[in-house]
Amino acid sequence: MSRQGLEAVLIAEREPLLRFLRARGAGDAAEDVLQDLWLRVSALDSGPIADPRGYLFRAANNVMHDRYRSAQRARQRDSDWLAVQGGAGEASDAPLPDRHLIARAALDEAEAMLRAEGERVLQIFRLFRIEGIGQRQIAQDLGLSLSAVEKDLQKAYRALIHWREKQDAD
Amino acid sequence: MTSTEDLIRQQAIEWALSSQEADFAGWDGLVRWLEADPRHTDAYDRAMAAGNVIPDLAAIAAPVLPQPANDEDRAAPRSSSRRGWMYGAIAASVLAIVAVPVWQMRPQPYAVATAIGETESIQLADGSRILLNGGTLITLDRRDIRFARLESGEALFEVRHNASDPFVVETGDVRLVDAGTAFNVIRNDTSLDVAVSEGVVIVNPERENVQLPAGRRARVDNVTDQVTVSAIPIDQVGSWRSGQLSFADTPLADVAAALERGLGARIAVAPAISARPFSGVIQIRGRGAQAVASIAPVLGTRAVRRGDGWELIGSDANP
Repeated sequence: MSRQGLEAVLIAEREPLLRFLRARGAGDAAEDVLQDLWLRVSALDSGPIADPRGYLFRAANNVMHDRYRSAQRARQRDSDWLAVQGGAGEASDAPLPDRHLIARAALDEAEAMLRAEGERVLQIFRLFRIEGIGQRQIAQDLGLSLSAVEKDLQKAYRALIHWREKQDAD
Repeated sequence: MTSTEDLIRQQAIEWALSSQEADFAGWDGLVRWLEADPRHTDAYDRAMAAGNVIPDLAAIAAPVLPQPANDEDRAAPRSSSRRGWMYGAIAASVLAIVAVPVWQMRPQPYAVATAIGETESIQLADGSRILLNGGTLITLDRRDIRFARLESGEALFEVRHNASDPFVVETGDVRLVDAGTAFNVIRNDTSLDVAVSEGVVIVNPERENVQLPAGRRARVDNVTDQVTVSAIPIDQVGSWRSGQLSFADTPLADVAAALERGLGARIAVAPAISARPFSGVIQIRGRGAQAVASIAPVLGTRAVRRGDGWELIGSDANP
């Protein structure tokens, strides 16, 4: 589908997209978010898109998740600032090499936690989130049932949600 | 046993996982789930963020390594560059047991959806037939016509049996494999309901391996995976086709979902009574959304207007 086609789908799917954005917590800003989306789509110089409706919903979803991440980061900065004031925190504007080391340590910790759920849990998570391979393909490649792959990914996600909540609480 | 928070978290993880698939087609189902409870969108974001922890850290820790999978890129059409050189480099170490990945066998999924109150019949090339009740989303595969994934709603499968190539229906993390069969499947937020009118269906052959012959139904809890088997008169399997809904000790939440699919009206149930069981038969043939008010008393409830839909509340409750 061409760019004009994508814009046409965006017009046709305006109400469902607004409904989705509201359900994703956009509230009164739903119209603004859709306007942003419109600008992005208009500026897009992409090849043909197989599933324009899915493409637009995914783009809308990404916008909302980006907003969530920004809000999280803002909150994080606030608490970092408080921690620095208390004299014990590590500011996120640490020198770059330190940031690498801090991230490396956190990465090792997160991966060790997934490995504790089973070596395969970490392996499947990496294939899904780092390699971007679909669950069905992973199942086929590893000779597993799709439900086994789903179960392992659910374990990984549960553990990672718990890990993030614990870090937030600290 | 399981708290509401755990349930929401589990559902959020399932939605995050499925919606991160490049060919995800269940956006309408996701909207309905998000709208069902204001806590859902935050839980969904938390699950999505959990999936980004390791890719994000990896990007900072070692910026020279490949970038994490990006959802926006994944929405673009599949291309060979998406997998790129790094797939070979990294996957070779973790996929040692795989000899030749068969890319050309890649599934070609497509989705068929019905609005509430509308039905659809899908004829497959092998003579099998799938009847979709209202409010249903199903994913099929052009490369593999012996496969269907029921994302939400209710479908009746009349399957042409082939012992060497059994028909497989997936819903959530449950696999149903036919052994010569007509069967009805309902996927609700809380459970999966399978009822068999002909032949045998095998539930999760790799795990519980429950064999369901004609006249039996199984309810699989979405969270605990617990399977409960009971009897069902064969003529009641898929009886929604004739506009007759029959229930046996069915939670009101599931009854409301069935009415919603058939009548085309949004129907919620007050939490206080949503688990209350109902047994009986409700005739909905030729009836529309306005029938909710007259059906509610049969369920021991009262229907009150909520937005463009209804909510069933206890007959003694204040609206």
